[in-house]
Amino acid sequence: MKLEVKDLRKSFGDKEVLHGISFSIESGKALGLLGRNGAGKTTTIRILMDVFRANSGTVTVDGRPFHPKEFRIGYLPEERGLYPKKGVLEQLIYLASLRGCSRTAARKQAVHWLKRLGVEEYAQRKLETLSKGNQQKVQLAQTLVCNPDLVILDEPFSGLDPVNSQILKDVIKEQIESGKLVIFSSHQMGYVEEFCEEIVLINHGDIVLSGNLDQIKREFGHNRLVIGLGPECQEPEQLLRENMSDLIDVTGRRKDQVIVKMKEGCTRERLLAALLERKLIPEEFGNYEPSLTEIFVERAGDQA
Amino acid sequence: MKQFLTVLKFELNNYFKNKSFILTTVLLMVLAAGIIAVPGIIMSNDISFGSGGEKENETETVALYDADGSIEDPDSFAAAMGMNIKWMECTDKSMLEDAVNDGKAEAGFIVEDLLHYTYVVENRSMTDTLEAAFSQAAASVYRAQILEEQGLNAAEIETLYQTQPEYETQILGKDSAGNYAYTYILIMILYFLLIFYGQMIATSVTSEKSNRAIEILVTSVDSNSLIFGKVFAGAIAGLIQCVLILGSAVGAYQIFRESWGGLLDSVLQIPVPVWVTFATFGMMGYLLYAFCFGMLGALVSKTEDISKAAMPVTMIYLISFFIAIYGMNDSDGILMRVASFVPFTSNNGMLIRVAMGSVETWEIIISGLILAVSCVAAGILAAKIFRFGTLMYGNPVKFSTALKKIREK
Repeated sequence: MKLEVKDLRKSFGDKEVLHGISFSIESGKALGLLGRNGAGKTTTIRILMDVFRANSGTVTVDGRPFHPKEFRIGYLPEERGLYPKKGVLEQLIYLASLRGCSRTAARKQAVHWLKRLGVEEYAQRKLETLSKGNQQKVQLAQTLVCNPDLVILDEPFSGLDPVNSQILKDVIKEQIESGKLVIFSSHQMGYVEEFCEEIVLINHGDIVLSGNLDQIKREFGHNRLVIGLGPECQEPEQLLRENMSDLIDVTGRRKDQVIVKMKEGCTRERLLAALLERKLIPEEFGNYEPSLTEIFVERAGDQA
Repeated sequence: MKQFLTVLKFELNNYFKNKSFILTTVLLMVLAAGIIAVPGIIMSNDISFGSGGEKENETETVALYDADGSIEDPDSFAAAMGMNIKWMECTDKSMLEDAVNDGKAEAGFIVEDLLHYTYVVENRSMTDTLEAAFSQAAASVYRAQILEEQGLNAAEIETLYQTQPEYETQILGKDSAGNYAYTYILIMILYFLLIFYGQMIATSVTSEKSNRAIEILVTSVDSNSLIFGKVFAGAIAGLIQCVLILGSAVGAYQIFRESWGGLLDSVLQIPVPVWVTFATFGMMGYLLYAFCFGMLGALVSKTEDISKAAMPVTMIYLISFFIAIYGMNDSDGILMRVASFVPFTSNNGMLIRVAMGSVETWEIIISGLILAVSCVAAGILAAKIFRFGTLMYGNPVKFSTALKKIREK
């Protein structure tokens, strides 16, 4: 299954909030929708889920128009909510039944997910009597209870403690490995790096970066190196700027390491030789692999 | 359809597992049965007293001070009062008052003449009939005395006055006077169903917004199935509650029917056409209003805003209700004719015309069609507004704004 989003535009009143969002994703892969608060991630997801209608643009699955009701979709909205006064198992069965499961299958799936998420003992309890963390687990159970083909999670890690985050990570990994198509939005880059092969970075309703995460990292690291001059060197950035400006530009710092960009004509061998020649003995010298956070800050952080 | 049935079942479970719903139903059943049973028991006791019970044989001691001897034969006078009375003759007023005060006599009469007397009693009870019986007997004896003085036979004249013509009533159309009671009851049932369940449906819609379950629901189920499921569940729950409450009243009446002397038979003998009209028009009218309550519930996101939001629909229904009550006095008047075709009033209007007035079959069919189409249209509009209001959290959205936005789409 291949989901393709092309040139989505959406306005609320006179204000256009999405200015042409496009991306695609296939089954067995995860796509991370990244962006700052208010960037347009949730609006994009709500258009996918047909909560909102786009002003223009198309969403297709394998080339045919995508109608969410025709698929089993596990959706975890940003606005979490279920029936506080209903029993946990009862409402999970209800939601699974609404999404096309038979009652028997719904019950089986509900029990399975409650057990998998470690909240089976609360199956008969009212939702409102559970702790916030356990309520979030029930939310996740409702997302997956219909055995979805497509999993859409809007800020799934929001408000989770480290233990629950780990459980959620494991579950998402299982979903990807079992061939599900997973889309999730987040501004917690660490999680995105763990699961996503593809990312789409949205800023103020525009895609500012998209593609394969490894490739993006390579492109961002192209021509960039990290140089570590040892812990005793107090001002490594200053030192490199003063002594090596003919070969490199200092672009940043990561702990004791300095991130530099080689100028045109400069090679790794020539740079290393020059460092040694100028008595700057590098304890660390290697390719710069940017983290997603660094890419995010660079591409989305300057337009606040 | 499957989704509709799933929603319907879930919503019905919400009603039937709701403790306050169960408690209210049981209480109202007990109350309805009690309303029938208690007067039945009282009447039963009255009948037993009246048919030679203990009270009939009880002899009351009554003091009498009749200085001028206006009552010639106290025993005959007691018989004329229809009571077993043992007279305690007193020689003066104070003796009589002492007898009453000391409890030797239950009451006393100080007689000046047959048309002037004083009734003396220590504590007058609500059911004291002694004075009325004395008054009636005194008047009767007085009349007899005067008539005899005139040389007329008092017994013959009494019989003459009591003569009643014998007659039969032949009603060619409908007996509005006879049908009034059950028509009124049916309209009241509809009124309570709508006021009670309308609010509950609106609350059910709003609470899904307030607990944020709405986004999961609208992405899982078609909004038509959702709103129709909710409204139909409310209708079925209301109907079941109604049948249970009325059933307990009817059941109690069957037990105490003899005590009531068949007094309520005419109320319960509702003709089939009236039942059919009540079932069809009543139910469609109920659904029409329920959809309106549902759509207004979708425009607010806090349950405390529901009463205010639902006020316009409640007002429309109240106007419809008062038109119906007023129209019952003139079921074939122009007001009822018009009201029986207007969707928001035809549920009561047509019921009144069928029960109490004259109406052509084509009128019933046309009115029914108008109401059915209005009902479906209201349902579809409610679903659209429900869908539109999904993520409208915060301040209530105006109905006109919602309509405008829907048209824009």
